[in-house]
Amino acid sequence: MTTPPPPATRTAIAEVRGARKQYPGVLALDDVDFAIAPGEVRALLGQNGAGKSTLIRLLSGVERPDSGSVVIDGAPLTGGVTEAGRRGVATCYQELSLIRDVTVAENLSLGKWPTGAFGIDRRQMTRSARATLERLGADIDPDAVVGSLTLAQQQIVEIARAVQEEPKLLILDEPTSALATAEVDIVLGTVKRLSAEGVAVLYVSHRMDEIRQIADTATVMRNGRLIETVSIAGADTSRIIHLMLGEALEAAPAVRAARTTGEVLLRVEDLVVTPKLDGVTFEGRAGEVLGIAGLLGTGRTELLRAIAGHDRFRSGTVSVRGSVEHRPTPQRMRQLGVGMTPEDRKGTGIVPGLGIDENIVMSDWKRVSPGGVLATGRIRAATKALGQRLAIKADDLSRPINTLSGGNQQKAVIARWLHADSDVLLLDEPTRGVDVQAKAQIYDIMRQVADSGKLVVFVSSEAEELPLACDRVLVLRGGRIREEFRAPAITVPDVLAASMGAGAESGAAAEQTIPTDVDVHRVKDPS
Amino acid sequence: MTTTVETTPGTATSGPGSSRPGAFTRIRRAIGGNTTLVNIVGLLVAIVLLYAYLTFNAVGFFTAANQSGLLRDAALIGVAATGMTLVIIAGEIDVSTGPAVALSSVVAASAISQWGLPTWLAIVLTLAIGTAWGSLAGILRARFAVPSFIATLGLWSVLRGLAQFVTNALPVQIPDSDPIMDALNGDVLGVPTPAIVMIVAFLVFGFIARKTPFGRSVFAVGGNAPAARLAGIGVRRVRVTLFAIMGFLGAVSGVLLTARLGSGNSTAANGLEFDVIAAVVVGGTAMTGGRGSLIGTFLGVIFITLIGNGLVLLGVNSFLQNVVRGVIIVLAVLLNVTLSRRRGAREDD
Repeated sequence: MTTPPPPATRTAIAEVRGARKQYPGVLALDDVDFAIAPGEVRALLGQNGAGKSTLIRLLSGVERPDSGSVVIDGAPLTGGVTEAGRRGVATCYQELSLIRDVTVAENLSLGKWPTGAFGIDRRQMTRSARATLERLGADIDPDAVVGSLTLAQQQIVEIARAVQEEPKLLILDEPTSALATAEVDIVLGTVKRLSAEGVAVLYVSHRMDEIRQIADTATVMRNGRLIETVSIAGADTSRIIHLMLGEALEAAPAVRAARTTGEVLLRVEDLVVTPKLDGVTFEGRAGEVLGIAGLLGTGRTELLRAIAGHDRFRSGTVSVRGSVEHRPTPQRMRQLGVGMTPEDRKGTGIVPGLGIDENIVMSDWKRVSPGGVLATGRIRAATKALGQRLAIKADDLSRPINTLSGGNQQKAVIARWLHADSDVLLLDEPTRGVDVQAKAQIYDIMRQVADSGKLVVFVSSEAEELPLACDRVLVLRGGRIREEFRAPAITVPDVLAASMGAGAESGAAAEQTIPTDVDVHRVKDPS
Repeated sequence: MTTTVETTPGTATSGPGSSRPGAFTRIRRAIGGNTTLVNIVGLLVAIVLLYAYLTFNAVGFFTAANQSGLLRDAALIGVAATGMTLVIIAGEIDVSTGPAVALSSVVAASAISQWGLPTWLAIVLTLAIGTAWGSLAGILRARFAVPSFIATLGLWSVLRGLAQFVTNALPVQIPDSDPIMDALNGDVLGVPTPAIVMIVAFLVFGFIARKTPFGRSVFAVGGNAPAARLAGIGVRRVRVTLFAIMGFLGAVSGVLLTARLGSGNSTAANGLEFDVIAAVVVGGTAMTGGRGSLIGTFLGVIFITLIGNGLVLLGVNSFLQNVVRGVIIVLAVLLNVTLSRRRGAREDD
């Protein structure tokens, strides 16, 4: 059995009792007991797939447990989202659901506009919005258009919308993941106020500094189970990480031996991409798989996109083999031998209607079109070889790429840059949403590619896969590279601790243990 | 696009007497679950039926004069439809075709009869000017992110207005005996020259679409522009080139029209853009981009032309003709969309 229910002797405002939830192939929740009391701020932690989202979906009525029950304010929840909402559960998800082109006030009264004798009473709308925002201590003009606000302000508006429903339990799913470090305090302040009013807050986040500032207790989940609820004051970060990872993973030995690597292929210097990256500097060498770790929203994707020329950066440079670029484009970077496979495979990775083969050769048509005319034979030969090398499972490579499974699509997008013979491959979450076997294959491919004298930059949000694949891991936090680990000294707890902001694994007051974030110079408050 | 479940080998013969679902399934199987091919086969059948019907029911349909006229009508739509196919595959649209053709015919005629240029030079000049304003629309789209519908809608108004302004809406006659113009309006082995130009255009663009990096880039940009960009494809250049091509083809049609009418005419080709777009869409090219074929468009052109011609010969009231044509076009596309949806093609929105 799991640990006994939390010490809340106060009557819980919301409870989950013996809940079990099975999805096809996954037991998402396994006999989970959970309770949260009024005014409590509870952090919810766990790796991807630990069951956090499922727990949230049960509490907010999006889904019902296969067995067990959800109890709100003493009575079982029988209906769906609407009933949960009416009975006081409000949820803010990572993605903002605001309408960007209308005002804050209008967003706050969508669907329930105050009406007077002459249609919608806009003044009343503004008044009530102002009241809600003041209650949250937010200095936001209700008549401002949402799109003109900062992300933190938008996040507050999102919270305000939930708060208008007078929730008893407010669930915040990684509310600060999209924010720059300096903006986080605004959200934290709002959470504190709500808690003081007696609202229970369930706060999903892995930023330890935030959690320590606002939460009383933290619940850690792993593999669909609720492992333990600990008091924040009494638990150091290494203990929480231990709970998140479990014995097996934590004890997993570092697998990579140290390697000698070649010349510097990629040098990133003082790269600034507003608002996420604040001076990132590193270099990557031929023959290495370079991992980039960091929590959700730390700017990993932004970093790769900037290097690949997809987004402009404000300052800094990207150099490839000594060629210094200030404003690269994807075309330019391709010429220099840099290719990126995006995290968002459907959105920016594949071209759905085209064949697998064309999706591969589109990075360099010239190679397969002597005299400017595409040679079917060459395309077939080139893609067949790559298909075999990367074990792309398809009987016919001319089939539309969207007929492939996610893992095979990913391999095809990687093959694209092998076709272009790029020296630097930037892989953003290449293993997301692919099955276990494909994951292992992708690690192998990265290794192979690196061994052929190229540089692979591997971004992952799953700390446990970095030691498996990388020769070196950089940890991104608060807009900068904070720590570097080299094989054979790359371990999951270390990487995770560095990502969460806990200094070294010992948890001892090492160089940078942090009450607020390290990134002091951007934080305005003088404390 | 899931693979068809039944894979029993069957020959492609579709016996006219066999039961309908059987024949249909067999055709589908023979063409391997390819939506484009379903569309092409359907259009072919429709064209054959329409042709047969008109041959027996429309007086004067199956005459040499009418067949030749049919081909000339088809050419007016078809030449522009080749480029339009690529434009629509790329996820764009060009609504300026009619006015572009009209102004081109005015430019060509004026260059010959008023500015005294030799005919060949007048033609080259017309083509260059057409390409220029096409490029302008392309630059507005690619560089300044003006939606292509708006950019070409503006161009539509400007070009028509210019044509009428410079000619006072009066035809600009060209000299009666101009060997080049006569050739452009003549026949080669009984086939009208414009039809030959159209066929050449279809062959060229069919080749470009399937066999060149540019053509495949068009599909990539239309299928997923951000992905194409990230793969290092010059998305802007592709877009500018496409609209330049449209301008060029509009000018070609303008020159051919001048040769046919013996004058440059600012009010000609009224509403041509809609026939062109309709032909492309009836031919199975998706307005959402990324999917389409030149063969489909070719059949679409024939289909649209046949309907137009048939309605006239059948003596349908000329106002009612538009109604019938509109209904047929929408039905054809509806059928097309329904077929592809039933086949499990992705429907993103």
